[in-house]
Amino acid sequence: MDVLKKNIDILRDQDPILAAQILQVPGGTLSIQPAKSGMPTAVVNSRYLHSAYDPVREAASWAEERVKDCQAGETIVLLGVGLLYHVEALRQMLPHDQHMMVVVPDLSEFADCVSVRSLEGWGERVMWLTGSITDMAIQVTQKAKRVRILSYDPAATVHYDIYEHFRLQLRDHLAQRLSGALHIMVIGPIYGGSLPIARYVVNALEGLGHRVSWVDHSPHYAGYQNLDTIRDHRLRLTVQQRMSETLAVISLAHVAEDPPDLVLALSQAPLTMAVLEQMRRKKVLTAMWFVENFRHLTYWQQMVSGYDFWFVMQQAACLDAFRKAGAKQVSYLPLAADPAIHQPMAITQEARYEFGADVSFLGAGYRNRRQILPSLVGQGWTFKLWGNEWENPGPLAQVLQRGGARIDTPTSMKIFNATSVNINLHSYTGNGFDPEGDGVNPRTFELASCGAFQVVDARTLLPALFDESMMAVINSPDQLLPTVQTFLHEPARRLAMAELSRKRVLEAHTYRHRMKTFLGAVGMASPDRLGAILQGDRQAESLVARSGQSPELIPMLKEFLPTDRVELVDVAKNIRKKGPEARLNREELLILMMDEYRQEKRDFL
Amino acid sequence: MSRALLIQLARLGDLVQSLPVLTALQSAKPERPLDLLCPSPLVALGQLFPCVDRVYPWYGEQWHELARTKMTDCDQQLAQATRYLAEYAFPAYSMAYNLNNHPRGMLAAHVLSGLVVGPGEYGPMNQRLPAWAGYLRQIAQDRGGNRVHLADAFCGMCQVLPPLDVPYLKAPEVPLTSGLGLPVNGESSTFIGIVLGAGDAERRVPLSVWQVLIAACAEYIPQSYLLLIGGEGEREAALALEHRLPAKYLNRVVNGCGRTSLPQLVALLNRCQWVVGSDTGPLHLGAMCGARAIGWYFSRARVHETGPYGVGHYVWQHDQGRPGEILDGCELRTEESSVAHWPVMETVNLIRDEGVNSRTDEWDLWISNKDEWGAFYTRDGLLDEAVLHRKDTWEALSQLANQDIRMEVSK
Repeated sequence: MDVLKKNIDILRDQDPILAAQILQVPGGTLSIQPAKSGMPTAVVNSRYLHSAYDPVREAASWAEERVKDCQAGETIVLLGVGLLYHVEALRQMLPHDQHMMVVVPDLSEFADCVSVRSLEGWGERVMWLTGSITDMAIQVTQKAKRVRILSYDPAATVHYDIYEHFRLQLRDHLAQRLSGALHIMVIGPIYGGSLPIARYVVNALEGLGHRVSWVDHSPHYAGYQNLDTIRDHRLRLTVQQRMSETLAVISLAHVAEDPPDLVLALSQAPLTMAVLEQMRRKKVLTAMWFVENFRHLTYWQQMVSGYDFWFVMQQAACLDAFRKAGAKQVSYLPLAADPAIHQPMAITQEARYEFGADVSFLGAGYRNRRQILPSLVGQGWTFKLWGNEWENPGPLAQVLQRGGARIDTPTSMKIFNATSVNINLHSYTGNGFDPEGDGVNPRTFELASCGAFQVVDARTLLPALFDESMMAVINSPDQLLPTVQTFLHEPARRLAMAELSRKRVLEAHTYRHRMKTFLGAVGMASPDRLGAILQGDRQAESLVARSGQSPELIPMLKEFLPTDRVELVDVAKNIRKKGPEARLNREELLILMMDEYRQEKRDFL
Repeated sequence: MSRALLIQLARLGDLVQSLPVLTALQSAKPERPLDLLCPSPLVALGQLFPCVDRVYPWYGEQWHELARTKMTDCDQQLAQATRYLAEYAFPAYSMAYNLNNHPRGMLAAHVLSGLVVGPGEYGPMNQRLPAWAGYLRQIAQDRGGNRVHLADAFCGMCQVLPPLDVPYLKAPEVPLTSGLGLPVNGESSTFIGIVLGAGDAERRVPLSVWQVLIAACAEYIPQSYLLLIGGEGEREAALALEHRLPAKYLNRVVNGCGRTSLPQLVALLNRCQWVVGSDTGPLHLGAMCGARAIGWYFSRARVHETGPYGVGHYVWQHDQGRPGEILDGCELRTEESSVAHWPVMETVNLIRDEGVNSRTDEWDLWISNKDEWGAFYTRDGLLDEAVLHRKDTWEALSQLANQDIRMEVSK
């Protein structure tokens, strides 16, 4: 009782409302037991939150490992409460002036803790975050400039969902205030569906003010395609593999020439584990946006440990699978649209004749589509089928356009805009709808962004992105025909729904939104590297303000605009502009010296 | 008291070839302490140079790491670089002699001294080269009839005449790794160092050739012992070589590859009467340790520029019978070597002090000499025009030298 009273006094000094709340809650969440060392330990759902032998020692080892990563100027946000041994140990190891916050998701658990564990001597220097998830995330964003999240997993697991939600909220809040510019190298595939996405990503990142180097491998497509002339299957695969490896080395050469802060690869980008390993050795952070169905394309399993960050378009099972396979950081990042490309457009009479239809479908000839779409043929409306891989189309032959040629993006836009009811069936290699269908395809966003009406098959992740006021969602193939019939006769309703879907895209589902989320996530996971740059730490004005260690640098920094990102190379460039006769001071000479070594690239490849 | 610093940031061979200029500078101004800045792995060797007061290490890797990091901003990078330099507590230098014609050497010289001699003497960003540095660049490009040795050109670059005596590195008192003691059996023995490796792959002699040479030495030179010299990179090759040799020769071979520090190597080379190898650092080191060197110069190696420094060394220059550029009337190949016949028996005969033909189908034999203008090589003992022309080169380049810095002469 004495411990609780003292703790309440400590908490009251920090947060009187929290202190009062603690006295109100019933407690009893934690089952407190003595550990072998005599200190109390805690059990929840038959699982120990701390060591049953020596919780103090266990916490000390945990904190020793974590404190190595903590940098000056960072606010440490700790997830996981339990009996706070880990918090105490870390607090004691951190510098006195380093801020620390603990996210308290459950006051009852906290009350149990402060009844048996004294906060005296360290708890005064911890900020306890309570309230709604949003409130807690806002508090962190308001009070901390640079955030490092640490999780004490045995205790954090008890509130896994809350903490995940908190992380996402915090990521989004942090993403809103990013002002610094990164140099991001986007590495695209040779061909395929992720190629246009790579372009959209490049546009979005540039639009957000980042310097983007795009390693575009699509010019190699003709050569890659030419390998089809090798008739022997195994030989062809070997040569294709070798070509991919060469392209990976080409990507590495680009990284060596102009090292980025971050490499962002799109799925199918030709990067090998050896090249990713070399990037890691050279301390280049790498991320992959895997815009494929993880169940269908499984090569990620061999690459999972190669990237520092994975972003996927599916949740739950997908995230679990990646984590189990060894992904260090994996996050959900759905697809999107680029409103500069996917937009409503006026269709000329001539174009309408070619591309217009009551009903259209654009996509490749997957098995489920071949099975479902014939029901739309021969009805009392026009139906056009666009796309490739429709060999042996059967009853669909009469509606297949351009002989099954691949349709480029500008043509797709005309088709979407000139069609009354666009059918959007997610690909599946079986019959009917994919029973595990979760991720939402790019076409959903693109049609919406065009302000085009669509009938789409249900996906478990769709409701979080669009609701049924924005598009017609069907739950089984037999709903397709009646749904199309219904909406064909309701043009005003179609128009209203399509407008809502476009509005939704512009509000939340553009590639710009996605890239903000992406950068928020990588910045949060790497606060001392990407996070610091994203928050403007490398901007000239910020550097001037922090040039305590090297005041001689200030005049050199003042040659830049306040918001310019300034690196060693930029300062060196300015020094060189002084010309060959210039007399340089010691600091200028040292900067040039470092710049000489920076240019050394021979050990990269 | 004013101090001077000589900067040599290149490899082992260049550092050894810098010993004459260090000797000459120290001799010219014995009252002025002379320090050396060299790559960190070579510091232990620099500390054996008798003319050098202090040796400072240059950690290229550390600079590289500092410069390439994405973790820190330029403010922190500069602070770290300043701290890094401060840790070594360099004294104030009245003059820095820079031998490296690359920005790092030039910048280092200006960081450490207000007055720079050598590349960078017109300013840290000024590409204009001093006369001697320009001359070296020109002969590197044109490969003309130059006869000024690189070590002497370093002297010219530092505005000092070559040393009167050939520098000598005496053996330090260092314990040797077990099994590396050369045999002492009371009889007169001949110790021969064999330099297995080379920094550039194109200057490596095939293992099979070394095998033949070792067997020939063991067979034809009584009481000869062969010391295999090389670094970590040659360890495997040396083991393979030992494996290939007939058992009867094994007690005549001491494998020192990857087993010696630089001071230990100097100690061992001091016991060698001969050292054989291509144009490599250990060959030059052997020459400075008093051994007579026999160089096999092929690929881009040129006897007149980088032959072992001193008197009485031999160089077999691979230069005949192939198209290529002209070197003193002989054609010199510049492409990768494809030697058909190696001068194995010719080398054995030189060691046996037996007469050899100074020309074979592929090789010319050159012998080193020295005069007031430095080291030079002659064929068949003949002083040709090019040798005599060195004096003119020295005089012409001295005229062009920066007149603010007076030419210093060894005392």
